[in-house]
Amino acid sequence: MKILYHIGRYFWMLGKVFSKPERHKMYGRQLIHEIDALGINSIGIVVIISLFIGGILTIQLAYNLMNPLYPKTLIGLGTRDTLILEFSSTIIGLILAGKIGSNISSEIGSMKVTEQIDSLEIMGVNSASYLILPKIVAVVFIMPFLVILSIFFGLLGGLVVGPLTGVVTVPDYIDGIRYFFIPYYVTFTLVKSIFFGFLIASVPAYHGFFVQGGALEVGKASTKAVVNTNILILLFDLILTRLLLT
Amino acid sequence: MIQVTGLSKSFEEKTVLQNITTSFEPGKTNLIIGRSGSGKTVLLKCILGLFEPDSGTIVYDNRDLTAMKQKERKLLRREIGMVFQGGALFDSLTVEENVRFPLDMFTNFSGKEKLKRVSFCLDHVNITNANHMFPSEISGGMKKRVAIARAIALNPKYLFCDEPNSGLDPETSTLIDNLIHDLTKEFNMTTIINTHDMNSVIEIGDSVLFIHKGEKCWEGTKKEILSSGNQALDDFIFANKLYAQMKKGQI
Repeated sequence: MKILYHIGRYFWMLGKVFSKPERHKMYGRQLIHEIDALGINSIGIVVIISLFIGGILTIQLAYNLMNPLYPKTLIGLGTRDTLILEFSSTIIGLILAGKIGSNISSEIGSMKVTEQIDSLEIMGVNSASYLILPKIVAVVFIMPFLVILSIFFGLLGGLVVGPLTGVVTVPDYIDGIRYFFIPYYVTFTLVKSIFFGFLIASVPAYHGFFVQGGALEVGKASTKAVVNTNILILLFDLILTRLLLT
Repeated sequence: MIQVTGLSKSFEEKTVLQNITTSFEPGKTNLIIGRSGSGKTVLLKCILGLFEPDSGTIVYDNRDLTAMKQKERKLLRREIGMVFQGGALFDSLTVEENVRFPLDMFTNFSGKEKLKRVSFCLDHVNITNANHMFPSEISGGMKKRVAIARAIALNPKYLFCDEPNSGLDPETSTLIDNLIHDLTKEFNMTTIINTHDMNSVIEIGDSVLFIHKGEKCWEGTKKEILSSGNQALDDFIFANKLYAQMKKGQI
């Protein structure tokens, strides 16, 4: 029954979040700040993780395709499709749920326990909308770009690690990533990234917004937020894959 | 004027406030006093509309808060300034941006006009050369003063303060008390202060409401408080040895 209470309260919060803003200019300013704080600041970690994922995928695929009957181009193709279909959206989503999610939950939670949210409410500001809407819009807007960036750097990781370790040559790898490319896969991963972006911003915001107590509870809420966001990302990954790919 | 009539509030099965009836007049510093857990913060939050009372009415100059729609409440809240116990300044904004926030949100002032108003408010609370500092870089007393500056930025009709001098040294505490008192007179605001600091009561208590176990126990002025004859109030005040000695005429 408790889960129904949380689902109900989550949607009640979303109702408040998507109500008419008091002053569009202030929200615009917040949006730019959030795109920078949550999106641009995540580029570094996305690039590093994607380079490693691409490199590791290339080595593992090469290990599994050691039979000389398999063309070496399959290594590039496999790396590309795995990155596009799953890793660049889901793994990056899970990583960002930790980075961005804990940031959002602890920021809003701290504001709650130090009465800053009450202060906004007393001024007549819709605190849920003012604090959460720009974060949701920013993450939903930036996620597709981060996923595209992740695909690019994942492929680059494979291109660097494959020839360096001798498992594939540069021409074979490049032939592989150009072979039988299906553009719909990119559309699929971008749709997933939008859903994941929404979850990454809204679920931790929910946990932060309703926190009660002090610093300890803010920490607990942050952990809960990351765990729940990760579970929901995997659940939606499953649902979207079933709906859009089969 | 704010009039509270028959206000009661319970949380689950625990009754926190019971049938409170009182009024808070403009141009006066109205103090709500009582022990920790007596219900004074709940009363303040009910008056502010942050908690819904179970019964009773709260009327702001002939406007009943309990009967208002959300939109009307929002408009009313623009006439309210609030100073929280910890200041509740926005951590990510500088002192100047904190005071400018309500102006950015609710006025169509030009940048110059906003800056002028911010300077006016900060001057009134004696804050200088701290415009570009963040709340984490200023002292507790300064935070309270910046919070007061932010609270008066929109020229409110009603000012609420929740334990404005908790955690402050006696000198800064008196300074904050006098500041609130002077601003109340200057702008003719209806000011309600929630406190358990007896110094504040003696310094600025134009009108004092004593809450005991969720009920209104005594009401009067700072002059009447030492000779109220109310046992619960006497127990509260004279728990402090200094005031006990004052009553005995030893000071």
